[in-house]
Amino acid sequence: MNATAIGTFRQELAGLAGRAQPSHLSDAQRVARAKEVILSRVDESYATYLETCLHCGMCAEACHFFLGTGQAKYTPIHKVDPLKRVYRRETGPLRWLFRLVTRDITAGELESYQELVFDSCTECGRCDLMCPMGIQISPMIGIMREALAAADLAPPAFRAVKAEQTTAHKVLGVGRAEIKALAARIASEGVKVPVDSDRADIVYFATALDARLFPESLKQAAKIFNRTGASWTLLSASPELLGTGESVAEVDLKGILSEAEQRGAKSVILPQCGHAYPRLRFDGANILGRALPFEVLSITEYIGRELQAGRLKLKPMQGQPTVTYHDPCKIGRGGGVFAEPRAAIGALGLQLREMESHERTNYCCGGGGGQFLIDKAKHLRQRAFEIKMREVDNTGAGAVITACNSCRYNYLAGASDANWQTGIQSLVEMVGAQLTD
Amino acid sequence: MSILEFARGPAFHAAIIVFVFGVCWRLVGIFLLRRHRDRSQPRSGGLVAGGVRAMIMRSLPPHELEKQIVFQHASGYAWHLGFFATILLFGPHIPFFRQFLGFGWPTLPNSWVLVLAAITFALLLVLLLRRMANPVLKQLSTFDDYVSVILTMLPLLTGMMASAHLQPFGLRYEDVLGIHILTVCALLIWFPFGKLMHLFLTFPARFQAGALLQRKGVKA
Repeated sequence: MNATAIGTFRQELAGLAGRAQPSHLSDAQRVARAKEVILSRVDESYATYLETCLHCGMCAEACHFFLGTGQAKYTPIHKVDPLKRVYRRETGPLRWLFRLVTRDITAGELESYQELVFDSCTECGRCDLMCPMGIQISPMIGIMREALAAADLAPPAFRAVKAEQTTAHKVLGVGRAEIKALAARIASEGVKVPVDSDRADIVYFATALDARLFPESLKQAAKIFNRTGASWTLLSASPELLGTGESVAEVDLKGILSEAEQRGAKSVILPQCGHAYPRLRFDGANILGRALPFEVLSITEYIGRELQAGRLKLKPMQGQPTVTYHDPCKIGRGGGVFAEPRAAIGALGLQLREMESHERTNYCCGGGGGQFLIDKAKHLRQRAFEIKMREVDNTGAGAVITACNSCRYNYLAGASDANWQTGIQSLVEMVGAQLTD
Repeated sequence: MSILEFARGPAFHAAIIVFVFGVCWRLVGIFLLRRHRDRSQPRSGGLVAGGVRAMIMRSLPPHELEKQIVFQHASGYAWHLGFFATILLFGPHIPFFRQFLGFGWPTLPNSWVLVLAAITFALLLVLLLRRMANPVLKQLSTFDDYVSVILTMLPLLTGMMASAHLQPFGLRYEDVLGIHILTVCALLIWFPFGKLMHLFLTFPARFQAGALLQRKGVKA
């Protein structure tokens, strides 16, 4: 990976919006579709949250977009106002009253919320920790995103990616053929990469970002699997197909789960992708309608587990370089994977200097939740990234390590714009490079 | 029928009926909604324990985030404590509770409670003004937010007037006391329709959040 590749990729992302097809839905259809999503998703647990909100505004103080800009409109709970109104008018216990005193949502209003739920929210979940009532705001913003997507009001870049997924079964130009080609290239460098094997204990994926920017991530992951002696295979289905509800049909996820099940997988291990992790780890069983027949781990968890079991041994790096660790939101705060990456950093002989906000209170890199696809939101992304840069700089560490290639891309793009010199490293690549001989 | 007789009689009884029926209606309406079953494998067990822990621990924000919300948090606790102390530890209120519960309890000196009520009222006034001035709060605020805080302030104000035997506009003490009880009735009637319901919903919401985060292996 080099600066040219990042630059080319950024240019491509900037052109995504122009590839979106126009929508032909009427305003009434948009409102009806959005309401259908909201009403199907808001259950007793969300109703309890919506009924409990005190409008105290504390969630704003947790949000990197509010803190980065100071603009009240980016207050997290404000972003679900249309959802709240639909609930109150349609299914809430006082709906007979709220229909009289609360205005209905409109297509124009939904469109205005695109900036609030896509451009200025990465569903990082930091606000969920702050709320004194325990209100889980970020999943409700997820419902808002789905509602807007159903109304064809997702950002054009999202619609372009979805169209590519639906028609070509590719993400950002990467599909099965490209993943297979990447595996073949790695194999030609002497690293065994079994692809779509009939049987395997471990099923692994590669992402579009792996193929486009970070092929070394797959190569080093393959070295790690080979070293542990695991029976594994790379599934050529791109895990971006596991993407959030607003960008992909559930049928794709079911197909991928089925492919893993057919191979008798005991573990499905997800690559450095915060996007795919919660989708499969926590949503997979609910989409399938039954418990998953295999465990789901991130590659970071797998590395931590294998280190602990002694099946993986690393050569400590010379000189105890100082690093800090960026917890990817969806894997850390969204999945509880905190100890494993730190165990790996310890085994690498690195000196870890934690950021002030780390583990569960970590700040998002600014581009999660697909936000990095939205070119028109780059100014917001940079404001959020500035908070991150300050926290990293305050540690005095020489490099920042992360376990998500989307975060890594955001760091690289943000660093390029800010002329920030701190090194940005990938955990899996460092581990793979330091395997004992 | 005097103001006091009306307040203590039909008004109070009507307020209690609206309060009880309204609270039950709203709670049942929420808890009878369908609930999506979560089939994902929990990262760690003890979901109920995680929920119960969050019911308590969410009383404080994560210490890493505390510094950003010191004022909101401290002022919130302060006025709630002052409000409930005024209700429960004011001597003249005890006969009312004894009438319903059959027993009473020790109280604070009336002058202390008067000071406490004045501080609580002042805090609520500051918070109301802050809500009107702070861009985040102003944007979030609805009719409910303003009505709820004003209806919470009025019993404090009229209670202090009655306790201090202030009799504006030539009102008799009994009339001021009657007005005080009427403001309590107004608060009870409004209660089921607005955010005051958080008295009953805070702990269920925290429990859900705690269980959800426990499933993910994250401290709530």
